[in-house]
Amino acid sequence: MPSGVASPPRIRLSTIVSKTFGEEESLTMMSSHRWLRRGAVTGAVAVAAGAALAVGGAGASGAKATASSSRPANQIQILAYGDAQNTVEKWAVQQYNNTAEGHKVKAILNTIPGANYQSKLQTIMSTSAAPDVFFNWGGGSIVQFQKAGLLMPLNSFFKQDPALKSSFLPSIMNAAKIGSNYYGIPMRGTQPVVLFYNKALLSQDGVPVPATWSQLLSDVSALKSKGVQVPIALGGGDQWPTLMWFEYLYDRIAGPNLVTNALNGSKSVWGTADSKKALGYIAQLIKAGAFGPDKSWDSVKFTAGQTAPMLINGIAAFELMGSWDYSTISSQGSTATGTAPPNGPGAAFVKAGKLGWAAFPSVPGGKGNNSDLAGNTENYYSVLATTRYPQAVADFLKIMYSPAFAKQELAIGNLTTTTNTPSLISGADATWLKWQYNLVNHAAHFQLSWDQAYPQTDTNAIHTAVANYFDSLSVSQFVSAMEGLKPAG
Amino acid sequence: MATTTLMVRRRLLTRSRSSGGVKIGRPSFLWSLPAITFFALFAIVPLGVVAWLSLTSWDGIASPHWVGTANWSAMFSDPVFLKSFRITALLVGLGIVTQTPLSLLPGVWAAGYQRNRAILSAIYFIPLLMSAAAISIVWLSLLNPYFGLPRELHGVFGGGLFNGGFLFSSPATAIGVLTFVGMWQWSPFHTLIYQGGARAIPEVLYQAAAIDGAGRFRQFFHITLPQLRNTMITSIVLMLVGGLTTFDSILILTQGQPGTSTEATSYYMYVKAFQSFQFGEASVIAVVLAVFTTLVSLIVVRLSGWDKMRSTQEGI
Repeated sequence: MPSGVASPPRIRLSTIVSKTFGEEESLTMMSSHRWLRRGAVTGAVAVAAGAALAVGGAGASGAKATASSSRPANQIQILAYGDAQNTVEKWAVQQYNNTAEGHKVKAILNTIPGANYQSKLQTIMSTSAAPDVFFNWGGGSIVQFQKAGLLMPLNSFFKQDPALKSSFLPSIMNAAKIGSNYYGIPMRGTQPVVLFYNKALLSQDGVPVPATWSQLLSDVSALKSKGVQVPIALGGGDQWPTLMWFEYLYDRIAGPNLVTNALNGSKSVWGTADSKKALGYIAQLIKAGAFGPDKSWDSVKFTAGQTAPMLINGIAAFELMGSWDYSTISSQGSTATGTAPPNGPGAAFVKAGKLGWAAFPSVPGGKGNNSDLAGNTENYYSVLATTRYPQAVADFLKIMYSPAFAKQELAIGNLTTTTNTPSLISGADATWLKWQYNLVNHAAHFQLSWDQAYPQTDTNAIHTAVANYFDSLSVSQFVSAMEGLKPAG
Repeated sequence: MATTTLMVRRRLLTRSRSSGGVKIGRPSFLWSLPAITFFALFAIVPLGVVAWLSLTSWDGIASPHWVGTANWSAMFSDPVFLKSFRITALLVGLGIVTQTPLSLLPGVWAAGYQRNRAILSAIYFIPLLMSAAAISIVWLSLLNPYFGLPRELHGVFGGGLFNGGFLFSSPATAIGVLTFVGMWQWSPFHTLIYQGGARAIPEVLYQAAAIDGAGRFRQFFHITLPQLRNTMITSIVLMLVGGLTTFDSILILTQGQPGTSTEATSYYMYVKAFQSFQFGEASVIAVVLAVFTTLVSLIVVRLSGWDKMRSTQEGI
C-alpha cells in the first residue's frame, strides 16, 4: 500500500529537510494546513515504490460503509493530521477520557503524518478501519465522503447542545456545510490570506502600504526604481501561491458570486466580462514586473522556504500568503528545536517590528466587498455516519469550544474561531492575532481557497491553469481550463 | 600477484566447465515455485488489477465503476500525456549520453591498482549512499536564484545559457537541471558496475597487447571497450528502465514545470493518481508505461545480442 510504504521515509526526510533548511517550522506549518500544499519535499516520498504497483495495490474496496455494530467496542477512533500541533489534539483526547463518558468509551488519537493525509484517509474511509472522527479542511475535502453517505450530519448534535454551533463564527461553520446540513466542528484555527510586507523596506523607500489597487501598482514601480529586484515575492514553483492572486482579484472585481456560481456548476461564469477584467488586472501586475523578471517566479518555491528570506533580506517587499507565513517568517533560519521559540534572522525581523501585514487592497469600481477574505477557513472534525458511539463523539466535540481548548490552540499559534477567542488572546503575538480575528469576524464573505472548494480531482487542473496564465497571459486558455472543471455542487 | 589470480581464475573456469558436462543436475520446476508465487502475487496480480482499473472510473473511495475504454481514449487525446513521452525520451537519452562516459571512464580507472584509487573512489561513490529525495532537496536549495549558486556565481549563471540564473523557469534549463542531478546521483552507481566489469578483464589480454606494442588508448579501445560490452548493455538497460520511471527528482525539483515541460510519463501518472485521484486514467498510464518499459528493454537486449549469453571471453 502506498501510504504504509511512504510514512517512515517521510519522517526521515523531514528531518533532513529541517536540517538542510532550518525550516522545520515553516515546513510543518505549510503541510499541516493544506493537503494540496504537499510541498515538493514531503510529497516526494509519498510515491516510494513503483507508483504503478501502488495504483493497483490500492485495491478496489467499494464504499460500503461498515455497520456500526461491527465497529470496535468501547472506543472511538480520532484521526488527525500528524504534525507539531498534535499536542493540543492529544490534550483534548485526554480531557475527554477523563469524563464520565470517556470512562465508558475511550477515545484513541491516531495521526497520519505529512502530505499523505488525504490519500490515506481516502483509502481507509470505506473500510472497518475508518475513524469515528476525522480531521479535514471542510469544503471539497469532504464532499466525496458526504456523497458516498459516509458522513453524519451534525444537526442532531446541535439540537442536543446548541452551543456546539453557536460558539463558533457563522462564516466558519458555513465552510463545512453541504446543502442544508453541517458536517464539521472547527478544531484548529483560521488562516486568511493577507498581504505581508517588509515595513522597514517600505518606509526606507518612502512607499505607502497599498490600500487600493492603483496604489499597489504605483508601489511596484516605485520599489523597482529604488532597486528592489522583486517587489512581490511569489513561490510560483508551488503553483498554489499563484492561485491566491486569482482568489482575491476575482472577489474584488466580480464579487463572491462568480466563484459561488462556478462551484454550483455554472461554467459560463469564467468567460464573462468580469472574469476577463480580473484576468486583465492580474496581467497588469505581471507586466509591471511586480513578481520579478518574466517567469522568474517558477524558480521560487514557498515550500522550500525560499520566499521568507526574500522578504526578510529586502529582495522582495510584499508577499501575498496565508496567515501561516507569520510563523514561516518567524522561524526563518532558526536552529531552535521542539517548543523553543525561534531564534534566527526571521525571529529578529519579526521582533524588531519589521514585518507588516495588511488586508488585500480594494479595487475601486469592483463588485466585491473590501472586507471579503480568501484562504483556509478552518480545520474541522467530521463524524463517520456509522459511528457506534454518537454520544461519546458529541461529548468529545464539546471540548472544541471550551475556553481551555482555545487557550491551548492559541498558545501554539492557531487562531481559534470561537466567539470568545478575543478575550483569550494574550502574549507577544497578540496584536497579530487580534488583527486577524477582527478581519475574519468582519469579513462579509470568506472564500475557501478554490483548490479546496473544488473536489480534489480538479485541484491539479486549477493549479496548472493559474500557473500557465502567469507564464503565458492567455485568457482563452485559462477560461477553457476553468470551464473544464467538474465542481461537486 | 597477477599470476596467482590468473591461476585461480583458470581453476574456476575448469571447474565450471566440468560441472556442465554429461549430467546436467538442473533442479525441477518445483524449485522455482516460491519465486514464481512471489512474482505472481506482487507483480502479475497488481498488473492485472491495474489493467482492470484502467477500464473503470475510480476516485479511491467509491466503488470503481466500469467505463470501458473511455479512459484510454481520453488519455490518448490528452496532449500532456502524449507530450510526456517526448519528455521521458529526452530525459532518458540525455541521461545515457551524460552518465555513460562519466561512469565508464572512472569505472575503468577505479578498476586499476593505483594507490589513491580506494580513497578517491570512496569519495566519488558518496552520492550513491544518499537518498534520491535528499539529493534533490539539496540541489533545489543550491540552485535557488536569489540565495544559491546562481547568485554567488552570477558571472557564470547570469547569461542566457542558464536563463539568467532562473534555472526552473525555462524548459531547457529545467531539463538540464534534471539531467545534471540525475548524472550526479547515478554516475557512481554505474561506475561501480563498470569497475566490476573492468576488473574481470583478464590481465593476460593487456600483457599480450603491450607486447604487440599497443599503447594506453589502443588498449582501451581494443580490449577494455569490447570486453565491457555486456557490462555496458547491463548499465544502459538499467539507465533506460530507471530513466523511464524517473520520478522523485521531478517531484522535488520541478513538479513538471515550467508549464508541463518536465512532466515525464511516470510523474504524470502520480499526478493523475495521487493529486487528481483519477485512478482510472492513472492506470492507463501505468499499463502503457509497464508495456513500454518491457518492450524497450526487450528490444535493447535483442538488438545487442545480450540474450545469447555469449561471453566476451570466448577463446581465451
